[in-house]
Amino acid sequence: MLTVALDAVTTAALLFIISSGLLIVFGVMKIINFAHAAFVTVGGYAALVGAWLGLPWLLVLPLAFVVGAVCGALTEAVIVRRLYQRPLDAILATWGLGIVIGQLVTLVFGREVQFVQAPITGTVDLAGIDYSAYRLVMIAAAVLIAVLFTGLLSGTRLGLSTRAVIMNEMLAQGLGVNSARVRLVTFAIGSGLAALSGALITPLSSVDPNMGLPWLISAFMLVMVSGGSLLALAVSCLVLGGCQVIVSTFVNPILGGLTIAILAAIVLRIRPEGFARA
Amino acid sequence: MRSRLFLTSLAAIAAMTPAMAADPIRIGVPVGLSGANSVVAPSVVQSAELAVEEINAKGGVLGRPLALEVADDGSGAAGAQKAFDALVFQKKVNVLISMETSAARNAGLPIVARGKTPFIYTSFYEGKSCSPYLYVNAWVPEQQVPPIVDYFNNEKKAKSYFLIGSDYAFGRGMLAFTKSYIEKTGGKVLGEEYLPMDGSDWTPIISKLKASGADAIITSTAGGAPNVTLTKQLRAAGVNLPYGNLAVDEGTAKSMGGDATGIYISASYVTGIDSAANKSFLAAMSKKFGADLKTPNDLSVPEYEAVYAYKAAVEKAGGTDPTKVLAALEEVSVDGPRGAIRMNKQRHAPLTMYLGQVQADGGVKVIQSFPNVDPGAQCPPKS
Repeated sequence: MLTVALDAVTTAALLFIISSGLLIVFGVMKIINFAHAAFVTVGGYAALVGAWLGLPWLLVLPLAFVVGAVCGALTEAVIVRRLYQRPLDAILATWGLGIVIGQLVTLVFGREVQFVQAPITGTVDLAGIDYSAYRLVMIAAAVLIAVLFTGLLSGTRLGLSTRAVIMNEMLAQGLGVNSARVRLVTFAIGSGLAALSGALITPLSSVDPNMGLPWLISAFMLVMVSGGSLLALAVSCLVLGGCQVIVSTFVNPILGGLTIAILAAIVLRIRPEGFARA
Repeated sequence: MRSRLFLTSLAAIAAMTPAMAADPIRIGVPVGLSGANSVVAPSVVQSAELAVEEINAKGGVLGRPLALEVADDGSGAAGAQKAFDALVFQKKVNVLISMETSAARNAGLPIVARGKTPFIYTSFYEGKSCSPYLYVNAWVPEQQVPPIVDYFNNEKKAKSYFLIGSDYAFGRGMLAFTKSYIEKTGGKVLGEEYLPMDGSDWTPIISKLKASGADAIITSTAGGAPNVTLTKQLRAAGVNLPYGNLAVDEGTAKSMGGDATGIYISASYVTGIDSAANKSFLAAMSKKFGADLKTPNDLSVPEYEAVYAYKAAVEKAGGTDPTKVLAALEEVSVDGPRGAIRMNKQRHAPLTMYLGQVQADGGVKVIQSFPNVDPGAQCPPKS
């Protein structure tokens, strides 16, 4: 039973880490960034390059974040900026961009599966069961990301402007907030987070040009039921991720893979605002 | 007419290397240069090129040189239809020799039958593909699984097993056979779990495995990413049971680093086979391709041997007549890197299988060899 609980919490942590970048972009811009999976992949390859260069793991993570943020800023300035009034086109454009990035990664690094050694290996003894140490570290990473971003949003000038733009963009502009800059920075941070999450999952995953894709649908659904709030995202990751683990464990892992998408659809049907407070 | 003239001149150029005037014998190689097989396909083509070069240097087959026609089958059914059609009806090849996905092979078989072209399939597969035009010189589950299970039963005293796979035809087919073989040899299967092919989180399955208390695990995932994620997550969860992997090859094991250490694999070819034939094959490969050499493997070496098997069959039949060649293919034996191989068991071949274990340096050490493992009843005559 403890194993199932640990599986549920660590799975929720992984989902939270991967979805947080998508959520931040959606919260500010009301745009779903379907290139998110590609930025996750970029982060995985950044970790790979970092490992080749022999960088310590604590430097690899900021490297991945910076690479992702730069890619994100370029994307915002070149593509996304033109599409704020056309959210549906933005979905198509970012989806297409994801394909382009995937192909570029294939051209540079090849199609084959690559490997990054885990910084932490082995297991930890928790009340009589051995549990993967790296998965436990993921819980800490998720909490850290949540705390940092809550701090950024509520404790800094940038966070204040961002919240102003989220609440009422016209009014914020009228008060002298440079909303274009807020959007650029937010998109860069969201993409950087995606890349950071890609680097964080490499020890549990392989590095290949499509590594981000299996996570995209779950992340998208979780963001939809969370409605732009970081706290709601944490709740939905715990609830839906937990259900996924329970279904996988007691019914069948193939159905488990569908759990998040199906439950999210049901939640949205019954309660359109999802887990967010109305 | 002009296109035929063009083809003939092409053939003449191809035949130029050793001065042979005769019309070449054309070997069609439909292979997955793009798609899922694109990682392994170059090594298959290199094998075929070496075999053709060696044979032509020694005067060809019945005085005629061999010429290769490589076509991309896209690793799937749709691409294979085009590739087979072009090779059989436009290029008019005398034989098809290739490693392909099962989907591509199945799509090609009707075309091969229409063109009455012999087809030597050189990829291991799930077994029981039967066509009068099809010969297979690679392994089927009946040959690959027993070495691992027998070794775990006898040497590791394993009594209970846990099976993990990807949810597709090859994964499920391999594990279905594994399960029946384990039960036949007195073992118990405590669990059999699958994840979709693109699944990457094996956590619940690994928790079930740990809770089951099984003595050993055997996995059959799709190649590449699922194999890697499963192995990494097993290691991260501290699973150190005897671990047989039906889907990992030497190259992947090497690049996986420490996580692959200790995995048992079963194959008809590993580079470490200690025989004169294998050593001279490896030397010839690295001489011909130098830095561009793709490491020879269990999918590329059968291609090399199959070209020689076809040469022997044509010589025995006294020409390229398909009916005579098909009859002769069963009777000829070829000595290659994998030893002496004859496709005389319902168009499949008894093979020497090697049980290997991945070492800390990424190499594969042969633990035990199992000579002439029988493919079993693959294509029993209809009564």
